[in-house]
Amino acid sequence: MARENEKEREEAKQDDAVALPVEGERLRELEETWKSPRGVWKFLTDTNHKVIAMRYVVTAFVFFLLAGLEAAVMRLQLARPESRILTPDLYDQFFTMHGTTMMFLFAVPIMEAMGLYFVPMMIGTRNVAFPRMNAFGYYTYLIGGLLLYIGFFLHVGPDAGWFAYVPLSGPQFSPGKRIDIWAQMITFTEIAALVGAVEIIVTVFKQRAPGMTLNRLPLFVWAQLVTSFMIIFSMPAVMMASGMLAMDRLVDTHFFNPAEGGDALLYQHLFWFFGHPEVYIIFIPALGFVSSIVATFTRRPVFGYLAMVLSLIATAFIGFGLWVHHMFATPLPQLGQSFFTGASMMIAIPSGVQIFCWIATMWRGKLRLKTPMVFVLGFFAIFVLGGLSGIILASVPLDWQVHDTYFVVAHFHYVLIGGAVFPLFGAMHYWYPKWTGRMISERLGMLTFWLLFVGFNLVFFPMHQLGLKGMPRRVYTYLPETGWGSLNMIASVGAALMALGVVTFLANVWASRRAGVLAGANPWYADTLEWATESPAPDYNFANIPTVEGRSALWEMKDDTPIVVGLSTECREVLCTHIMDAEPDHRYELPGPSIFPVLTALAVGVAFTAGIFTPWAFPVSAVLSGASLYGWFWSNRNSKNEPVKERRARTDKADRPSPRPAARTVEGEA
Amino acid sequence: MKRGDLKSEITNLRFCLSPSVRRPSARACVVAAWLAVVVALAACEREKRETVEAAPGARTEAISLSDLRPGGGSQPGETKNPDEGRAYDISQGKQFFSYYNCAGCHFNGGGGIGPPLMDDKWIYGSDPANIYETIVEGRPNGMPSFRGKITDAQVWQLVGYVRSMSGQLPKDVSPTRSDHMNARKSEQTTEKEQPKKTTLPETK
Repeated sequence: MARENEKEREEAKQDDAVALPVEGERLRELEETWKSPRGVWKFLTDTNHKVIAMRYVVTAFVFFLLAGLEAAVMRLQLARPESRILTPDLYDQFFTMHGTTMMFLFAVPIMEAMGLYFVPMMIGTRNVAFPRMNAFGYYTYLIGGLLLYIGFFLHVGPDAGWFAYVPLSGPQFSPGKRIDIWAQMITFTEIAALVGAVEIIVTVFKQRAPGMTLNRLPLFVWAQLVTSFMIIFSMPAVMMASGMLAMDRLVDTHFFNPAEGGDALLYQHLFWFFGHPEVYIIFIPALGFVSSIVATFTRRPVFGYLAMVLSLIATAFIGFGLWVHHMFATPLPQLGQSFFTGASMMIAIPSGVQIFCWIATMWRGKLRLKTPMVFVLGFFAIFVLGGLSGIILASVPLDWQVHDTYFVVAHFHYVLIGGAVFPLFGAMHYWYPKWTGRMISERLGMLTFWLLFVGFNLVFFPMHQLGLKGMPRRVYTYLPETGWGSLNMIASVGAALMALGVVTFLANVWASRRAGVLAGANPWYADTLEWATESPAPDYNFANIPTVEGRSALWEMKDDTPIVVGLSTECREVLCTHIMDAEPDHRYELPGPSIFPVLTALAVGVAFTAGIFTPWAFPVSAVLSGASLYGWFWSNRNSKNEPVKERRARTDKADRPSPRPAARTVEGEA
Repeated sequence: MKRGDLKSEITNLRFCLSPSVRRPSARACVVAAWLAVVVALAACEREKRETVEAAPGARTEAISLSDLRPGGGSQPGETKNPDEGRAYDISQGKQFFSYYNCAGCHFNGGGGIGPPLMDDKWIYGSDPANIYETIVEGRPNGMPSFRGKITDAQVWQLVGYVRSMSGQLPKDVSPTRSDHMNARKSEQTTEKEQPKKTTLPETK
């Protein structure tokens, strides 16, 4: 599209001397209108979805590095029997922080961030539906993460595992503030996740480019959409669990105290009703990455679009019916256990369908084995292995044998790292040119892949055997007589390789940003709309909102494919379309930069942080949030009131005939 | 963010840190850093959990039974319980309170065979040192001596817990409810009693 624009502009230069200044002025106006605010304080007011999403990605990646460091220290501790690098107390904090960080502060946020960055670009719009709420979500997430890590550095790190089962995490057995911080952090980050989900759903439903019917939605966007719905249905359960836990601990309620009529198992149900879908919340966006990468590097649309979409939705549905397989060792009725065994086996069907669809896409295709594609191939190998050990864990008798052993650790690292982290690394190599405008080094990329792939299998494959030999999870050390030493040493060596892989990746990102080859708009010759604009994309994403005539938007774009005209360049206006067929519906002005999302996030932060120490935090913070919300909406109204007249006076300028004489145009209705 | 944007951010940052502004902000930074260190140290201490303890028999030397000093020497300062700031130790004390069958006589603090521990009346004094002596040495009319039976650290944990029963400890250190039938309000929600010296109850 950008290439076309340039061509167009050149043609216009030759043909029509008037058209160029008009087009140039329009672009200048667009840039002026959508420009991200500059300056240190204004930095906090930005509402551009790409800026916010990039902050999410960077923050989440920093948390990934921290959690990785924690894992490395644990591997160092476990490399030899009876080592004393960490005290038992500190080891508890380390594995809890590792799990909590990876699940809540890295995996979910970075997956959503990829959506917040690319969904608006893939569906051809200029920003997400509620830009200020988006910024608010980011800052709540950031505050939650900081709360957890400040606590950890002050020796108040949670120590009851990432799922913090009661009664261990309850008031009697976890004194102090450690678990309170954990519970509040959960509530925080889940607010952020819910905000992100709402953003993505509304954006996908209402802001698609004309012609992008639901039936033509890229698989990446489908994956993000399905994930967002899962978030909306699952996150409230964990927020309830963490809220009830906090109340049990802080104000002596008895939700989880069986002796007074509460129920300790209720916590597990609530947690895993979120916790299992959570796994798919991490995994389904990764499927979206895989679909994008496979389509691009085989240069053909993914085979079986309908089957793929239905599989995504089926995975999401079935994903809500599996949670009890985390609880097979609790006294549940046999019928319930059988049901959840069946459901757990069933999830293999949609997963299998997707794997076969990708294989069918690659079958007899001419693969381009670039780094992103290689990561996807690595994903196939590792994820399928993880699926196989998953079948073992899904059946009750086998699960009882290996419950809470390293076998489980091996399994979920195979599915989570294989199913989410490998596609994510692929995606980061794939979209790096779109983020920075430069290609990422292939040589270093391949090195990253092999270090991660070999390292990963060295770490986690021996854990299957360790688990079968009976090594329990969450032990800070073991005796030499157990004979677990050599396998643990192999795992620790693998961990060093993985750490090296991550360092290589960071070096690659840094070096390629300075010295990478310039990418241009569409270096991979991909089919989705984010490649239709320059790299990196301008603040307004697209000079002209494109229209779509098929599932592979760019591959099917013709010279006379219409563009959207009539959107104001004076204010942040986007085109809203109908849910099903994406026919133009109306124009809608999005609010611009504002400091109030940060302030509201801070006010909420006060409530949750100080609430650990005194209940007075809540009324105080209610007043503060109320004030900042008032500012949020009031400032919005104010900004709208003033420029409106001016906008009306000048709108017709944008309605001038398009500088592309050949192009048909679609008018956004006022 | 475009490359140029980042550059302009950095220039702006530099502008903000121009010499006229730098000095107070540097001082503020130092102050903030010290504050952070102090908070950090306090917090480290608060959540410290000892997993290795001395054997039973080793005992704290700072305790004296009498206020009188030969030659009119000055009063020794009040002995502080090393555990009173730490929720973990107090909760350990709560466990030992039931493990060592303190509840067998004192019940959940309401008293029965032994005197109540959750009220304001103290026969042998409410200071940590007094309670320590009571546990280690025992008292007439039934309180057994735990000398040599439990470690010094455990005694101090028990001392902390006993004081929390009448609300003598800060709220965020005292235990909250237990995972069983709760016969009384939790130690954390117990109002602080003003300790009063009292004599032995009449034997019936």
